[in-house]
Amino acid sequence: MPALPLDEAGKYVAGAYLVFLALILIYVAIMAAKLARIDEELGELAELADGPSRPEPAADPGGADAGADQNAQGAHPGTDPVGADAGADQNA
Amino acid sequence: MAAATVIVLTAGFALVFFYAPLDADQGFMQKIFYVHVPLAICALVGFVIAAVHSIRHLRSGEAVHDARSYVSIHISIILGVAVLLTGAIWARAAWGKWWVWEEPTLVSFLIVFLLYCTYYPLRFAIEDRERQARYASVFAITAGAFVPLNFMAVRMADSLVHPRTFATAEGGLPAEMMLTFLVSLAGMALLWVTLVRFELVSKSARARISRVRRALDTEAPGARTSRIAPAVPSRASAG
Repeated sequence: MPALPLDEAGKYVAGAYLVFLALILIYVAIMAAKLARIDEELGELAELADGPSRPEPAADPGGADAGADQNAQGAHPGTDPVGADAGADQNA
Repeated sequence: MAAATVIVLTAGFALVFFYAPLDADQGFMQKIFYVHVPLAICALVGFVIAAVHSIRHLRSGEAVHDARSYVSIHISIILGVAVLLTGAIWARAAWGKWWVWEEPTLVSFLIVFLLYCTYYPLRFAIEDRERQARYASVFAITAGAFVPLNFMAVRMADSLVHPRTFATAEGGLPAEMMLTFLVSLAGMALLWVTLVRFELVSKSARARISRVRRALDTEAPGARTSRIAPAVPSRASAG
């Protein structure tokens, strides 16, 4: 098997390593998209969970602000604990 | 784990290009070996690991083992794609052809790869979760047993053009090449483990979301849910 000259073999070697890198990047991109969807669903769930406890607008003139606060708090589960929890789960 | 993967893989590739000597026969082109062979080993070992998880699933009935088996096969198939592509590039450089159908090493790997590609339609053709997991486990065990048998058969067969590197009459790799290869292999194994863990965490999170949806009784008819049996927390702690 004759060795190819460096300029000839170099493009094949670069191609092989780039294919490997590209596959990893594609996988990471897909995982990032999945993570974004999970975050979005968690946001929906947090809104649903917060819904019934939201104060009546008539009873509380500042209800809009209170609701905004609750939504802000509801964003927390989507950002950290579920991932950490799930990770702990799998580590177990 | 992810940081260790990046460090070891980077160290491995640095050794490939700055430490490992050029092969006397193939020259610079042989550098593809350090990515292609570790990928192939990790993919094949991953299939066997999936079979082990499937055995544990059938013995215990715990969904977490089924999830681990599924994810192991999933990641190994991704590595399998990389094996076929990098191998084809090397073949083009070495033999002037992208593929040689007469070569048992190439064809046998393709057969194993295609066999595992049928895992997805088999699995998702079954609606019932319990049956889906059980049938998929049986498939993973059968196919997993086929992997080492196939490997041994190929080793015993006469190679047409594909090089034999390990345990050869010529004594195998020199020390520098072997060290580089082992570091690359360790990096690839870490990559496999890291990707499997990412995927498992993702599946687990989706399963938890589905459970919360059901608990809140607000699940929309078209809501997305994980299609594999989820890793149940109480059972996961047992595994």
